[in-house]
Amino acid sequence: MLLPRWSVQWHITPRMSDHPHNTSHPAEFSRRSFLKGLGTAVVASATVPVSAVAAEVEELQKIGKTKALGPGPVPIVLDVNGKPMKLNVEPRVTLLQALRDYSNLTGSKEVCDRATCGGCTVLFDGEPIYSCMKLAIDAQGHAITTVEGLQQSGQPSTVQQAIIDADASMCGYCTPGFVMTVTALLKKNPHPTADEVRTACSGNLCRCGIQARMLSAALKASGVSSTMRTEVIRHA
Amino acid sequence: MNPFQYLTVRTPESAVAEVADHGRFLAGGIDLLGEMKDYIAKPRRLVNVKDLPGTREIVRGKSWKIGANVTVAELENDGEVRRVFPGLQQAAAEVGSPQIRNVATVGGNLAQHSRCWYYRQPDVHCLKKGGSTCYAREGENKYHSLFSGNPCISPVVSNLAVALAALDAKVIIRRGKDEVPLTISELYAKAWDNPEAHHSLGPTDLILRVEVPEAGRKSAYRQISEKSSFDWALVSCAAAAKVQGRKLSQVRIVLGAVSPVPYQVAAANELLEGKELDDTLIDQANQAILKDATPFAHNGFKIPIAEALVRRTLHQLVTSS
Amino acid sequence: MPSWPKKLEVVGQPVRRVDTSVKATGSAKYPSDMQPAGWLYGMIYRAPWPAAKVTRINLEKAKKIPGINAVVAEREGERTVRFYGEELAAVAGTSKQACLDALRAIEVEATPQPFVVKEEIAKNPNSPRVWPDAPNLGEANVREHGDVDKAFADAAAIVEGFFTTPVQIHHPLEPHGNTVSVTDDGTTCWASTQGITSVREGLASYLNVSQDKVRVVTDYMGGGFGSKFGPGVEGGLAARLSQIAGAPVRLMLTRFEQSLAVGNRPSSFQRIKLGASADGKLVAFEMDAFGTAGIGAGRATAGGGGGAGFPAPYIYIVPNIRVKQAHVAINAGQARAFRAPGHPIASFGMESILDELAVKLKMDPVELRLKNDPSEIRRREYTIGAERFGWKEKYKPPGSSAGPVKVGVGCGGATWGGGGRGSHAEAQINPDGSVEVRCGTQDLGTGTRTLVAMVAAEVFGLKPEQITARIGDTQFPPSGASGGSTTAASVCPAIFTTCTSALTELQKRAGIDNVRGDNWKSACRKLGVTPVVAQGRWEEGLSSSGVGGVQFAEVAVDTETGFVKVRKILCVQDCGLIVNKLTCETQAHGGIIMGLGYALYEERVMDSATGVVLNPNFETYKLPNFADVPEIEVVLLDMPERGVIGVGEPVTIPTASAIANAVANALGVRVPSLPITPNRVLAALGKVKPASTAT
Repeated sequence: MLLPRWSVQWHITPRMSDHPHNTSHPAEFSRRSFLKGLGTAVVASATVPVSAVAAEVEELQKIGKTKALGPGPVPIVLDVNGKPMKLNVEPRVTLLQALRDYSNLTGSKEVCDRATCGGCTVLFDGEPIYSCMKLAIDAQGHAITTVEGLQQSGQPSTVQQAIIDADASMCGYCTPGFVMTVTALLKKNPHPTADEVRTACSGNLCRCGIQARMLSAALKASGVSSTMRTEVIRHA
Repeated sequence: MNPFQYLTVRTPESAVAEVADHGRFLAGGIDLLGEMKDYIAKPRRLVNVKDLPGTREIVRGKSWKIGANVTVAELENDGEVRRVFPGLQQAAAEVGSPQIRNVATVGGNLAQHSRCWYYRQPDVHCLKKGGSTCYAREGENKYHSLFSGNPCISPVVSNLAVALAALDAKVIIRRGKDEVPLTISELYAKAWDNPEAHHSLGPTDLILRVEVPEAGRKSAYRQISEKSSFDWALVSCAAAAKVQGRKLSQVRIVLGAVSPVPYQVAAANELLEGKELDDTLIDQANQAILKDATPFAHNGFKIPIAEALVRRTLHQLVTSS
Repeated sequence: MPSWPKKLEVVGQPVRRVDTSVKATGSAKYPSDMQPAGWLYGMIYRAPWPAAKVTRINLEKAKKIPGINAVVAEREGERTVRFYGEELAAVAGTSKQACLDALRAIEVEATPQPFVVKEEIAKNPNSPRVWPDAPNLGEANVREHGDVDKAFADAAAIVEGFFTTPVQIHHPLEPHGNTVSVTDDGTTCWASTQGITSVREGLASYLNVSQDKVRVVTDYMGGGFGSKFGPGVEGGLAARLSQIAGAPVRLMLTRFEQSLAVGNRPSSFQRIKLGASADGKLVAFEMDAFGTAGIGAGRATAGGGGGAGFPAPYIYIVPNIRVKQAHVAINAGQARAFRAPGHPIASFGMESILDELAVKLKMDPVELRLKNDPSEIRRREYTIGAERFGWKEKYKPPGSSAGPVKVGVGCGGATWGGGGRGSHAEAQINPDGSVEVRCGTQDLGTGTRTLVAMVAAEVFGLKPEQITARIGDTQFPPSGASGGSTTAASVCPAIFTTCTSALTELQKRAGIDNVRGDNWKSACRKLGVTPVVAQGRWEEGLSSSGVGGVQFAEVAVDTETGFVKVRKILCVQDCGLIVNKLTCETQAHGGIIMGLGYALYEERVMDSATGVVLNPNFETYKLPNFADVPEIEVVLLDMPERGVIGVGEPVTIPTASAIANAVANALGVRVPSLPITPNRVLAALGKVKPASTAT
């Protein structure tokens, strides 16, 4: 079984305390309530050793395997950008919603909500998937990376910088999804051909029309220069 | 999406038991969650079957065993599958988008439901959803079937089913306490007769794996869509045969997206058997395959596409290395 | 009258956008990303019938759903539903799940009414009426000059055709919607809009409060293409929900809803007859056309940007014309302005029939255009384009290429007004040398924020990244809505005059003649503690209007399967003074790719029997896939002496025409209807019985 690979403290989202979702089913459940029903006696604390978190998740998953969870809110733990994210959500909440509405990670966009556009693309154990078509409860035990998790020390990643340089973003609503797709591609295939970029990006739509720019950006990020031709002629 | 319970099972026994009360099996979820979001499917319970032992592997042998939970991407990217069953690999590569292939499973692809736009429209109560009318027959039917054994004309859209039919694959399902092997024809037979059926599986039938005989045959798959990629096939075609020069034997030629089942005509397969492939023979095969086609107002164009695909797929068999 | 400096340092250069970084890292907050404290999720209940008399809406059960804070009817009392998806009620609650459950708990009593959703059926007088007081087919707009019949009688060549274009849906990736917080102290609305000012006006009027009590903020927005000006019904509903719940409400539409009720490009059915002299001079043009703007056709809105009318004859001047254009109402969502309203429709019919004429006269299509196009700029563009494209080598007689996959080339032209006026701006130079420029415009993804920074940098002798460009807030000096390719031409002059005033004041207060560039910091230090603040506005002399463009397309068509692959598009476009070469090119890409969708894939499909939209999604409403996008080459004609004009719309106009002409050139027969899908290609080739558009 895959266990989350986090190494740091609980990911506490400060706004959760005043988040309206809490009024119906407290999302900021305390560790105590989180563990209630698990039959364990671990005492709450803000910082938890990695092993304890892992054990807790394992415990949760065992329960999920033996008894049905829901339909009401269920405590879950997601491994997002290397940090554990504790939520209390109904089984019908998608990973995309969990990220956007319950955790304010709004880089992943809801565009179609039907696995057709790529705006919600996240990496799932390193592979790009549509977070709109994955239940949050079903995403436990996997490493999830969102666009917010790509920056290193506040600087844009290579792919993000290539998109900036190639002007491969207009309104920008598709951009995070493309960033995730191209990032995953280059990790697997550092020097893709143009056709390989096209295939990799075939699950991402853009309405402003940056596809040719994105092709250049992806190739540029892999070290290949652009083939796009544009010319300005002074009109005498 | 309506509320539901979620649980994970570890054995086929418990999977079948837990799904019994208005449940659905959850694997990749791409098809199922789409139906649930539109209230077309309203299960009270989702039974996660991804952790069932032995369902995530591809095991080689005289007959390959492809686990139901193998993802379409794993199938697409498996070098041995590409070498031994190129038609299957090509079919996998045309499924959805990379993001879909990374989660969609072999079992889910085979068991997916109709993509008919009347069926998927949440406010249309069509024949397939238990209503009284197939609106497509007199309506917007450019994506619909040329052949059907019942008044519903929504076609099968599983790429893998078409390729697996050509490869004489068997689908091993768990039915009650038994493991039951089904041919691809058997897997979809009910959809030919029954407008409400998408396949022959009952609510508690669970696909465990697919078995594909390594019969030393070549295979190929092609499809034509409106877009270059990430689009459903207007028509798809898979073929498999033993090839010697231009001579074919043990031929299977199968069309997708033209019928509720992967469409195969025994007479066409027999006609090709043991003969040298040439354009006349292909024309005869096409006639045999398409003679019963009954196009509606907007889908007659599928016939020339089917003819072209049959020709190209057969040519691909004899020209591919 | 101000004028741009002869020597420009920043303007005209390729400059990276100042805001791509925040977009690419996911930190840009769009209106759909806003989560003000205590926010609620909002959703709309829509009519599931295309026409109905609604007698009662029961919201009580919805109000009792756990987590629901507010439920409102869109209108009190009985009402008539005229299209599938009309807004009837809305809910707000603590989660999407609660809202979904509440929507399903709403009960509506209604009597379905007869309806009609196909144009050719709707114009029949016996069809059900969309509006009881008027026939569906409105009175035709008829224009005639010259002696058309005589001109046709004398013409050496006459060609006729019937061309159709589909209803196209805007589908910006960020849906329509707002996050609205209504309190006693005032209203804040984060709007996904092309016009923060128009949203403010709309909301103030809706809430019956003065405009100073409404603030609209649009830091980023995910595309509009003409469909996002006012707050919309959804904005009004969100405001009322917020009022009732006493909490902010985020109400963004779903993709499904985007397909029903927030605008589209009207359809067209154009019967055209064109006559020419033996040497190819156009002498007579006759058109009988109709199209639908949904329920808007025949109403007051039909004449506006969302109407079904279009310019005819397009571009070319014909001495004898008879044009009859009519709108037909159907039970479907109303049209709205859509990137170059009317023009792609007009271009498709005209450029198609023109190529038919070229074939009939055995004339090169480019030559025919050079002979008839009244625009000197476009004629030059055709010459430049033909050379770059290799037109002479590539153009072959129709249908003459060998093999089942046939190649072909085609071209087409465009005109657009652009221009703009009326923007105000404010610049603030701080003693530490930092600069803030404020303007109440909005960036739709066109790069406006970057233009603001560039123009300010130009005036101050700084780099664009040294400027903080603040836009998208009604607290800033007003600018117009972003439509009609007017934003650049309206905003850039305002920034220029404003910054010029600020520069003058800085020089005065610092007592230094040249404060630009290297002297900047030391000059600013002399300001002490009081920044320089200057206001300015658009002035004549820095912008103008009117552009022309041409495009060339090369396609490969599989005659056995009907599949069309566009290999290359070349765009030659003028746009006056190019402000940012990089983003200007990107705009051209955008227009071309949207035109590609119009040419090959996009079409709203309505069902006659049920009146619903059958493809309210990206699965069957098809946008160009990454792999469908061809090689794109852009040639920009820079005419700095004309000032800033604007380029967003003209670049999408001729793409579909050029592609359609290329397909006709490849096949030797014309596919007269957009989108050019495999079924239509095979039908044109006579390989299938043509499908009737009337069923």
